[in-house]
Amino acid sequence: MPDKTLLKIDVVIIGGGWTGLTAAYELAHAGQRCVILERGEHRHDATSFGAPEEHDELKYALHYTHMMDVKQNTLTFRNNRTQRALPMRRLGSFLPGEGLGGAGIHWNGQLWRPLPSDLEMRSHYETRYGAGFIPDELSVQDWGVTYAELEPHLAFFERICGAAGYAGNLNGKMRAGGNVFEGPRSNEYPNPAMKMPITSTLMGQAAEKMGLHPFPMPSANVTAAYKNPYGAQLHPCTYCGFCERFGCGYFAKADPIICVYDRIKEHENFEIRFKSTVLRVEKSEDGQTATGVTYIDADGQEVFQPADVVCMNAYSLWNVHLMLVSGLGTPYDPETRTGTVGRNYAYQTIAAVDAFLDDSIITNPFMGAGALGMIVDDYNGDNFDHSDLGFVGGGYIACKQYNGRPISYQPVPEGTPAWGAQWKRAVRDNYLHHADFVVHGSSMSTPENFLDLDPTWKDIYGRPLMRMTFNFPDNDRRMSDYVMNRAAEIAQSMDHVTSVSSINLAAAGNDYSVVPYQTTHNVGGAVMGTDPSTSAVNRYGQMWDHHNVFVFGACLFPQNLGYNPTGPLMGLAYWTLDHMKNDYLINPRPLMDA
Amino acid sequence: MLPTLKTTVWFGAMVAAVSVPIVLGAQSTQTPAISMLEAQLQDERVLFNATIETTRPDDDLLELGRLVAMGGAENGGSGMACITCHGGSGEGDGSGTFPRLAGLPGWYSYKQLNDYASGSRPNNIMTGIAQRLSEHEREAVSAYYAVVNAPVIGPVGPADQGLMQWGGQLAAVGNAEKGIPACVNCHGPSGTGNPPSVPYLAGQYANYMTYQLELWKEGVRDNDAMNVMSTIARKMSSEDMQAVSEYYYRVYNPLTTGESR
Amino acid sequence: MENLFSRRTVLAGLGASAAAALAPARHAFAQIDDRPFYFFTDAEARLLALICDTLIPEDEFPSASQAGVVDFIDLQMAGPYGKGAGLYMQAPFVAGTPQQGWQLPHVPSEFMRRGLAALAESEAGALSGDAPAMDDLLTRLSEDTPDLGDIPAGAFFDELWKLTNQGYFADPMYGGNAEYAGWRMVGFPGAHAYYLSFVDKHNVPYRQPPMGINHKPGGNGAMPRPARAQEG
Repeated sequence: MPDKTLLKIDVVIIGGGWTGLTAAYELAHAGQRCVILERGEHRHDATSFGAPEEHDELKYALHYTHMMDVKQNTLTFRNNRTQRALPMRRLGSFLPGEGLGGAGIHWNGQLWRPLPSDLEMRSHYETRYGAGFIPDELSVQDWGVTYAELEPHLAFFERICGAAGYAGNLNGKMRAGGNVFEGPRSNEYPNPAMKMPITSTLMGQAAEKMGLHPFPMPSANVTAAYKNPYGAQLHPCTYCGFCERFGCGYFAKADPIICVYDRIKEHENFEIRFKSTVLRVEKSEDGQTATGVTYIDADGQEVFQPADVVCMNAYSLWNVHLMLVSGLGTPYDPETRTGTVGRNYAYQTIAAVDAFLDDSIITNPFMGAGALGMIVDDYNGDNFDHSDLGFVGGGYIACKQYNGRPISYQPVPEGTPAWGAQWKRAVRDNYLHHADFVVHGSSMSTPENFLDLDPTWKDIYGRPLMRMTFNFPDNDRRMSDYVMNRAAEIAQSMDHVTSVSSINLAAAGNDYSVVPYQTTHNVGGAVMGTDPSTSAVNRYGQMWDHHNVFVFGACLFPQNLGYNPTGPLMGLAYWTLDHMKNDYLINPRPLMDA
Repeated sequence: MLPTLKTTVWFGAMVAAVSVPIVLGAQSTQTPAISMLEAQLQDERVLFNATIETTRPDDDLLELGRLVAMGGAENGGSGMACITCHGGSGEGDGSGTFPRLAGLPGWYSYKQLNDYASGSRPNNIMTGIAQRLSEHEREAVSAYYAVVNAPVIGPVGPADQGLMQWGGQLAAVGNAEKGIPACVNCHGPSGTGNPPSVPYLAGQYANYMTYQLELWKEGVRDNDAMNVMSTIARKMSSEDMQAVSEYYYRVYNPLTTGESR
Repeated sequence: MENLFSRRTVLAGLGASAAAALAPARHAFAQIDDRPFYFFTDAEARLLALICDTLIPEDEFPSASQAGVVDFIDLQMAGPYGKGAGLYMQAPFVAGTPQQGWQLPHVPSEFMRRGLAALAESEAGALSGDAPAMDDLLTRLSEDTPDLGDIPAGAFFDELWKLTNQGYFADPMYGGNAEYAGWRMVGFPGAHAYYLSFVDKHNVPYRQPPMGINHKPGGNGAMPRPARAQEG
């Protein structure tokens, strides 16, 4: 029994990050009384992320001070069902957030739209390559929405962030210098592209000579003073090199605090409660709807907050965890392959290429930003012919300059000893003469990669931890090798290159490990779709089984695309909110037939 | 060799609030010896502060810079001596009408002179002066002032404590309600500045800084990279501007006076 | 407090070869003073200095211990990191695959103490030896071969290397990177970073002298620490 029960409100929103704050903004303005329950604390760009204190690599980049505390909540992990899952006792592979703004505070600011073919991956591949082309062991699905349907919402989020870039496809008109593979955009980017350092410039030149189509990475590190549609004022990026893993005291990296929270916090329909951890979503007796949520408040009391609508806006993994501990939907069973909650968990497939340059090139790597780089998208999605390649999916190649932080940035050529006198010399000889490539690849879902509840370990509230079972499918290993080799080719043909080395984290024989950082792009587990046997959520973001529960975030993705997820998931968020405001709230009911 | 000059020229139209000057330490109307300035370049921070892009300052450059400051020039003169208004060592004249130049990053001063000359920083007086200097002279005088030391000519009497506290807070943590980023992010701790592009604030005249903030807010001055300052200034009230300026004027920072060298 | 030993006496008592590397210092960076250790004992600090200096030896730039890495690790062990901040410590503890990461029941300070003790006991020969013996020992450690009881050698090596590397390059307010040795070595300007006007000036060296978060004029960015009376 809860210690207390509050008065019913219109909408309870679980989580105060990008999607939670945005949902509150939109629904509050639509006359809905909204309460956000955020497990972390209040913080603000002005007071919490100011330089020079913020520019502390050890504290923020390596001790993860802005991120979630695994002592309170983590998950267990194994590569496959023959193993026993063990707790992820320290952050590593991915860095979920906590506190106002969530991971939206410490993200890189890389802002993409999905390719049209990404959203209809199953149909697209079968149409182009034939019905049997996608291997049976991959549970690739269509998302249930099309690019055309999402376009206005993707465009709007770009304007919320002041996205900086150069359009490659403006209403069907192709422009060199932009991404010629992108879906048609109704508008140019709100801000001009970032200023390129020498490394990205050299890569762009090499790629062009090879007949590829390089363009500057679309960035939410704004490039000019910018006012967003909510009235937020952003300031230009200083290229300080303390971007990802850090908050931005310059107000230059679009984040949910300055872009959304500051513009809604005074609204009469808006309330946020900090240090409030949701334990469970409560269901009605007939199970058709949720009645509200039970949470632990800042005083340690168990509180029941009734609401007409429950919005699940926690980080993707924790949305799924909440569904599992609350009994929402049907949990996935890998034996029978039935159930949908926890099914189709996917990640991101990362490879890296290092290009070493001669001494005439001085790269000043410390002049960086989280979304600074030159992109080649020719090997992403289905932008290239897969017919004889033996895999589906792809990835973008980026020659990036995020930072030169000296503990993390120590590039040395292949064959350099891992420590000692030679290592030390190699670090200093190469610090100013290196270009950094990443291959950022898609991640296919399989029936053996899934999320469920762990039988042994618990969080501090006594709830079972979520259990993650994941390894790279062979398909993705082959994809990653292929794109990495294309990246190495570009690197090798750059002017002033002296040596190139590469590493594929998903190479054959390398099992996925939670130890080295890869990306904070955990997707799936509560996928959206048009078929309730293969999705937990319908195409409007509404749970099939509980029509007043709306789900946001990358947990909706049926598999992961090559791009970073924030742009696509926010496009989906605005799409869902649109249907909530204009349809569901007027007439609450399931919006799709099961 | 060098005459002692008195600062007697006033430009009535530009005088804002005048604070009665009190001199901290001996007021210097003499200009320092070049050898002394060049010796300071041994300190790598001074060297970095005085380096304009790739030009490494040496005694020739400093010599030319001092000559320009005295009113001389290669092409027949700038029409004015810098020291007339900005003081023998770049300490200003105490009124706040003319800013401190001593210790400003060379690159920053050089950019201001270029902007005055082109008109992208509007100023009736400085535009004519800057236009009459060659680019090399602008470099030279900027490097010179970057290296010169001068004590702060500070205000007399106690400041309004509420204003000081508010100014210090804005400087350190900005203001979440108004969305104002803290000054320290770019201007460094204790108003040190961040050479080569960000000027110091510690010890700069309060009324000069307030006036610049107003110019940024109005859009009259917009010669900074990407309009950072105008965006910030537009969020500030007059009281905010006054607070932060009065605060920084009183921040003691030996880096900006040269005492730490 | 228990372990108050002056650095000067500790480090002066190191083996001949290590001492030769430490004194007289060729740099202004030598971290020999009267400040005590907060966590390490005399013997532990000496052993750690030997290890760190093999990982990052002296050349034109200081060795790890000269740059204050032992101080850094000492502070880390005494502080939240050493006590297990950021570590999920619920039982049971079960050994897993390398992909599952850290599964030991020790917080980092315990792990360090036990690891150093195990090393001192089982590898005494290498530890009193010379540089090649130390190189060989650390190579074997990194390959997970020595038997250190319940301390996995490979994991212990990883921790030692991680902390040494961090200590050499972290902001000097944490005790290492003394006088910005690490930052000077690579050319990293530090915490005061504003590059809007320079990122697209290609191939122009940017020789900003490094400044840490706590940099004071004429200073070295270290956090001031109170002096304590020597004991023993």
